[in-house]
Amino acid sequence: MLPTLQVGPAALQTSGLILLVGLWLGLTLAERFAPLRQVSASQVYNLFMTALLAGLIGGRLAYALRYPAAFAQSPLSLISPNPGLFSLTDGLIVALLAAWIYAYRKQMPLWAALDAFTPFFMVLLIAVGLAHTASGAAFGSETTLPWGIELWGAARHPSQIYETLAAAAILLVLLPQRKAIADLPPGAYFLAFVSLSAAARLFLEAFRGDSLLLPGGLRLAQIIAWLVLAAALYGFSRLARDR
Amino acid sequence: MRTTILKPLAIVVLCAGLVWIWVSKAPPGSVSSGGIPAPQTGFQAPDFELVSLDGELFRLSELRGRPALVNFWASWCVPCRSEMPALERVYQKYRDQGFLILAVNATHQDDLDKARAFTAELGLSFPTLLDQTGEVSKLYQVRALPSSFFIDARGVIQDVIIGGPMAEALLAIRVEQLLEGKR
Repeated sequence: MLPTLQVGPAALQTSGLILLVGLWLGLTLAERFAPLRQVSASQVYNLFMTALLAGLIGGRLAYALRYPAAFAQSPLSLISPNPGLFSLTDGLIVALLAAWIYAYRKQMPLWAALDAFTPFFMVLLIAVGLAHTASGAAFGSETTLPWGIELWGAARHPSQIYETLAAAAILLVLLPQRKAIADLPPGAYFLAFVSLSAAARLFLEAFRGDSLLLPGGLRLAQIIAWLVLAAALYGFSRLARDR
Repeated sequence: MRTTILKPLAIVVLCAGLVWIWVSKAPPGSVSSGGIPAPQTGFQAPDFELVSLDGELFRLSELRGRPALVNFWASWCVPCRSEMPALERVYQKYRDQGFLILAVNATHQDDLDKARAFTAELGLSFPTLLDQTGEVSKLYQVRALPSSFFIDARGVIQDVIIGGPMAEALLAIRVEQLLEGKR
């Protein structure tokens, strides 16, 4: 665990740095991969930057609208670099909306664009696992297994390492297949990634110590992952049938 | 892959998924932090006992029932100095509702006279506690200053902010969330 990097007087959040590197590497890979799906590298870059900027501004504004009194008293907080003043869900919704508008205006085919961005998603998933490892977030449940790690007062499943390894395995399985996608219908590559990621989450959530629980001890993330997996497999079979 | 193989395979995978969801249900007490003390969101705030600049003894567990902010700082730390006026303003605004700030000075890596002069200069009205040995900083795994732990009335850490300065709006929102949890 290495939550901060001390560089002179500045304490840099390691997880944030890892995510930034992940975004950059993922974008670079997607730019190289996109032409295989008849999407240009510049379109990938522009779509990403549009979504990123819209997401950042939208997430902050949505947060400010939720707590108008606090921001009215301290208006400069609106441009504060504190990530705590940000609504992740709203930011993601605004980013997706901006990406959709951009793609629509540039007449980018949806499935081909999603295929083009799949390497980006794969790298980002690894970065998220590493960020969790650095911060100690998304921690595992207690275990007596010999590979348990001492974290937050107990020996726990190294759930962050599990998720990083699963994400790396998905990348290793799918990335070599990128040349073969020319023979596949648009969207197949993306749906293969979604299926594998959802299956990994469905399996690995069982070892988490911070799961949101439903009555009866069912884990909410597993139910969502199962639904995503079902939708992706259905989409995959539709693509195969229509081919 | 042929469609004829894909469909049964998908059904097998989804059925296996449902079985796994059922098998891996969380037994009571296996998930979340429970009563374990650890310096992480969702866990009990580790207990400590420190003396303030005024010589008064503070024990965190004895303050249970009041939402609190434990803020680690040092007089040489520029972001710590920058956020102190906002801390004071927020404390003044919410202290009557039971909110408390414990400003833990990392005395083991600070100059006590400078720390005392700084609190006097700003007229800080919340208690400044002295971590002379660095034990409390170690207990809270403080790797960077400032580090702030927002603790609810039950003694559970609700948020951890590493680094600073914290925006005043962020402070006010977190405190209001703690107070809402208390109501």
